[in-house]
Amino acid sequence: MRAASLLLLSVLPLAALGAQTPAQLAARGQQAFAHRCGMCHREGGTGTFILARRLGADKSLLEKRTDLQPLYLRTVVRWGIGNMPRISRVELPESDLEAVTAYLTAPKGPAAP
Amino acid sequence: MKLILPPGVTAARFEQAMAAFARVLGKEWVLATDEDRETYLDMYSPGREESHAAAGALAPASVEQVQAVLKVANEFHIPLWPISRGKNFGYGGAAPRLSGTVMLDLGRLNQIIEVNEKQGYCILEPGVGFFDLWDYLKQNKIPLQMGIPGNGWGSVVGNALERGFSPLGDHSSNICGMEILLPTGELVRTGMGAMANGKAWPLFKHGFGPSWDQMVVQGNYAIVTKLCLWLKQEDEAAITVDVKLDKPQELQWYTEAVTPLRLRGVLDGLVRITSYQSAATVPTLRSEWYQGKDSIPDSVIPLMMKRFNVGWWNGALRLAGYSDVCEANLRRVLDRVAKFTKQEFKVIRGPGNASPGPSTYPLQMTNWYGGRGGHIGYSPVMPADGKLVQEQFERTRRRYQEFGLDYSGTFYNDGRSVTNVNLILYGKDDAEQKERVRKLFLALIADAREQGYGEYRTHLSYMDDVAASYDFNNHSLLRLNERVKDALDPNGILAPGRNGIWPKAYRAQRGKL
Ligand SMILES: Cc1cc2nc3c(=O)[nH]c(=O)nc-3n(C[C@H](O)[C@H](O)[C@H](O)COP(=O)(O)OP(=O)(O)OC[C@H]3O[C@@H](n4cnc5c(N)ncnc54)[C@H](O)[C@@H]3O)c2cc1C
Ligand code: HEC
Repeated sequence: MRAASLLLLSVLPLAALGAQTPAQLAARGQQAFAHRCGMCHREGGTGTFILARRLGADKSLLEKRTDLQPLYLRTVVRWGIGNMPRISRVELPESDLEAVTAYLTAPKGPAAP
Repeated sequence: MKLILPPGVTAARFEQAMAAFARVLGKEWVLATDEDRETYLDMYSPGREESHAAAGALAPASVEQVQAVLKVANEFHIPLWPISRGKNFGYGGAAPRLSGTVMLDLGRLNQIIEVNEKQGYCILEPGVGFFDLWDYLKQNKIPLQMGIPGNGWGSVVGNALERGFSPLGDHSSNICGMEILLPTGELVRTGMGAMANGKAWPLFKHGFGPSWDQMVVQGNYAIVTKLCLWLKQEDEAAITVDVKLDKPQELQWYTEAVTPLRLRGVLDGLVRITSYQSAATVPTLRSEWYQGKDSIPDSVIPLMMKRFNVGWWNGALRLAGYSDVCEANLRRVLDRVAKFTKQEFKVIRGPGNASPGPSTYPLQMTNWYGGRGGHIGYSPVMPADGKLVQEQFERTRRRYQEFGLDYSGTFYNDGRSVTNVNLILYGKDDAEQKERVRKLFLALIADAREQGYGEYRTHLSYMDDVAASYDFNNHSLLRLNERVKDALDPNGILAPGRNGIWPKAYRAQRGKL
């Protein structure tokens, strides 16, 4: 039941955003990340610090990661993990979560942001 | 989180109410899935999360929508708990006192309505965060200062409504006028804002007749939709005397030394002094220091002091304002301190606007025991008197040791009173330890009550206990609060149980968790 509703929720908003190219979506995601995640997940943030403790420094900055999966991201954001608080749909609406997910899972070439 | 219904409301009635809320707000902004409910649980919960589980959340985007929500809530008798950003960690986060309450999440009302540089104030909606206001001041180069709590992730309005504070002082004392909605839906502006064309709303606190702002702070009589808050002008210069005291008993002379300086306004804001432990809890894990299940032993303290180059007590005496005045005041401060100690302290001169801004870094102290964790604070208010402060510290620390928890105490002196914030950290998945935390907390309430000290703010789970300690004339203040509650909120829909104030409809819930 829970897995099914998770899937449904993650598919619906994407369809609604159909008009956006993946690059536009990721650019919007970068903004939403800065506004809603950056205070904990950029340099000096508590997310970065605790992830360094748990996974090592090379995995501590989410924006540099290449191994984040969409379902993992939404589960962490809505259900929390360790000392990360849960984030509601008011703080981060579904459409913004989709955009952040697109941003964090976009292929990272040498010229990536 | 599974649905827990509000007491006395059937599942069918609840569904009808949620459908009515959806007609007002649109389906998207009625948050009532298991996953939604999960996001409003108290992440630092010192007991069971289900004790304070919301039945859902509503997210209006305008004052009119909040009014329409109130109408439905009154019709269906659905209790609502307003939050501004709901980051009240240590006191209940985004959760309600009574399970089954629906959160009224005001995060979408997030406009900075005005910032006035000349007269030093801002008018904010509840959803404006400390980061938002900080960015606004910096981007617009507005030389005003804001008080920022250790957790910078919350709301400027929500924090002030909890009587939050920072070294700049008590944030609720900077409130100057509000726009509020009464539980029955009437819109009111307080103070000078009660004039339809009132020009001095954010400038003069009281208006004509009784002053309502402080009735709303820590109460459950109204929903704040706009708040006027004074901001301090940026200072020309700041001087910090970096205080490190090596012995626990030095708290006594220090309190005696700084109290008159604060009372005369030589020192500004709240004069803070904190124990060695706070240097360690954020950057390190407890296991680096000690493995035992009892309190960290005294033998570890010198190791912490050495590694972080701190004292047993650590604080800052901060002088801010015109640079020549600061220099003159510095001499007064050093002369006064020299009457009590031969120790010399480092003096740091800097610009008046050196605040690093909001941060979430201190949040990681909850990782102290290794896994996911939380903290609550026991914070009684007492006289600013060296002997009493020293005794309070010693009594409190003995209690921590009795229950096997790590002492972490901070004293904030405002010249007349001292607020003693005692931080209690625990692992969230350690039920046995959380039981010790509960026992410690109740013992601390009882000890302080005996001394005549009461808490300034508390976690949801202890609101009834703390309210009960305000017991003059058989709790006549609580009875007054509840008479006002019943008059303003006949259906008891707004934040039942907040700060121990229960409306008639839910009074049987008092003391139940
Ligand atoms: C590491 C750490 C450090 C901290 N340091 C500090 C500190 O230095 N100082 C400090 O004060 N706190 C501190 N806190 C506690 C807390 O996190 C902050 O006070 C935070 O600002 C409160 O959350 P918020 O601003 O989102 O308020 P909210 O959670 O939105 O509001 C708090 C409560 O106020 C009432 N309320 C809110 N909005 C409204 C409204 N519009 N109308 C009516 N009632 C309303 C509700 O009862 C609500 O539950 C700290 C917490 C942690 C974890
Ligand atoms: C208040 C601080 C805070 C905010 C805001 C925050 N996080 Fe986190 N996050 C953390 C912490 C702390 C951890 C580490 C948890 C642990 O391991 O104990 C974490 C961990 C994570 C992880 C787990 C990574 C892994 O490999 O296991 C993901 C994914 C994540 N955060 C995504 C996000 C996203 C996306 C946002 C914004 C929508 C966000 N976080 C906002 C604090 C935060």
